[in-house]
Amino acid sequence: MNESASIIVQNLDKFFGKQKALKNVNLSITKGQIYGLLGPNGAGKTTLIRCLIGATKPTKGSLMMLGFNPTSQKTQVRGLIGYMPQTPALYEDLTAFENIRFFSYPHQKGNFFQRINEVIEFVGLTKRAHDQVYKFSGGMKQRVSLACALVHYPQILFLDEPTTGIDPKLRESFWQHFRDLTQQGTTILVSTHQMGEAMYCDRLAILHEGTLLADEPPRQLLWKQQAKIKLRRNNMVAEKLVSHYPDQLPKLLHKLGLDPAINRIEIEEETLESVVLKMINEHEKKLNQEGAQ
Amino acid sequence: MKNILSRIGVVAARVLNQLHRDRRFVAISILFPLIIIYFIKLVFDVLAPPTFNISPYAVPYAAFIVHFITFILTAIVLVRERTAGTMAQMFVCGYQQIEIIIGYLLAYTVLATVQSLLVLLELNWLFDLGFSVAQFASMYLVMWLLAVISMAIGMLVSNFARNEGQVFPFIPLVILSVILSGIIVPVEKLPEWAQVMSYLTPLYYANEVLQELISDGSLLDNWQMFVILPIYGLIVVGLATISLREKD
Repeated sequence: MNESASIIVQNLDKFFGKQKALKNVNLSITKGQIYGLLGPNGAGKTTLIRCLIGATKPTKGSLMMLGFNPTSQKTQVRGLIGYMPQTPALYEDLTAFENIRFFSYPHQKGNFFQRINEVIEFVGLTKRAHDQVYKFSGGMKQRVSLACALVHYPQILFLDEPTTGIDPKLRESFWQHFRDLTQQGTTILVSTHQMGEAMYCDRLAILHEGTLLADEPPRQLLWKQQAKIKLRRNNMVAEKLVSHYPDQLPKLLHKLGLDPAINRIEIEEETLESVVLKMINEHEKKLNQEGAQ
Repeated sequence: MKNILSRIGVVAARVLNQLHRDRRFVAISILFPLIIIYFIKLVFDVLAPPTFNISPYAVPYAAFIVHFITFILTAIVLVRERTAGTMAQMFVCGYQQIEIIIGYLLAYTVLATVQSLLVLLELNWLFDLGFSVAQFASMYLVMWLLAVISMAIGMLVSNFARNEGQVFPFIPLVILSVILSGIIVPVEKLPEWAQVMSYLTPLYYANEVLQELISDGSLLDNWQMFVILPIYGLIVVGLATISLREKD
């Protein structure tokens, strides 16, 4: 067992009747990491988070969070985590301040009211803190929801699509704050649809139909895939497809003998989005073949 | 224990705060029973002969109206918590079942206290029932207990419903209790199986005590039936607490 792991998931299955939401998922998330969960709708991202926060019981397998089992030691686990759901779960007729105070009351630490004001300031709602939530836009509700998850200095933060409906400037400051939190030792597990955001993560899990397709740093995921290299020699263009181009490109150039006529080298790297889509399509094809057999 | 009590207080304060802001909900909860009782008065005025003793019917009917409305409003409010995701969020944030149930019960008891009092005052005024202060206070206690039990039943039912629509199949059961309670037909005249079912409805015990009070008796004269009401309430609160779960 990894000593520095905040979260350990082993052979996790979660079935809802005949529907297999998670199939044999294995993960180990290091303390102080931003760990991203990437996948299409229905991939199992939210189910995995709900298993980890103890809101749903796994069908099979084991879970450990900071040495506690979230299913049997819910009380201990819940004092250590913060959870921001995909859809803000707030009382619309209460103010932002009242919502944050209510949801963070059981695990309050230090100067409670001062801390509430701090998180309200961080999410940029100081001027609207005493307005009822039903007057807020979707993005503002997301910010209240994030504030609720942050008040009690959680050791593990679960964020289910935290920046949906947030403007780019605030999104940038959120990610900066997440990074600051990880430097203080907080582990963050974040599910997202946005590929650009996935690049902020230290490690990325790609889920599709309950199966874990990859669990690697995002940069490594990109390097593993093919890059198209275009060598323009006078008016001729030669294209080469290479995997892991930082290693392959020098070899290619050596082979070509660094022809002085080569005046331009273009590299078309696959985007994270195309890498993920390719993995999902391959998995889908495999599932269809298995189904046909 | 101190933590549990303080969290119960926080849940109750939050619900009261919401009630304070949701004037329409409070108005429906309080005015609706009063309007229905007024309609009952209009019907009795036309149908009942002048010498007819109205008390054995009017008081239990009013109790039933409080029972029904309190049940349905509590059940729907709690189901709404579930569909909005705030119930799940309360659990994740560290609130326990008992804290949620008792907190809600305390807050809604404030509403039930006002509701029962206004219903009884209106009844006394409209039908000119001329109850003594002791009779009135005893009837109020019975009606208040029934309202609290109705809230607990609403909470219990809400635990088995995933949306507001799933509460509606339970409504006929509550309406059936008016037949089973002995308000319309004496329980002894019901079929044997229905008599057994009568003992499961809180309205049966409330009606038994109310009839005793209407016929100039006191709570002590039928104390066995009266004592069953708080016991019934405690059992339902216990069941509501046990069955309140975070759903998959």
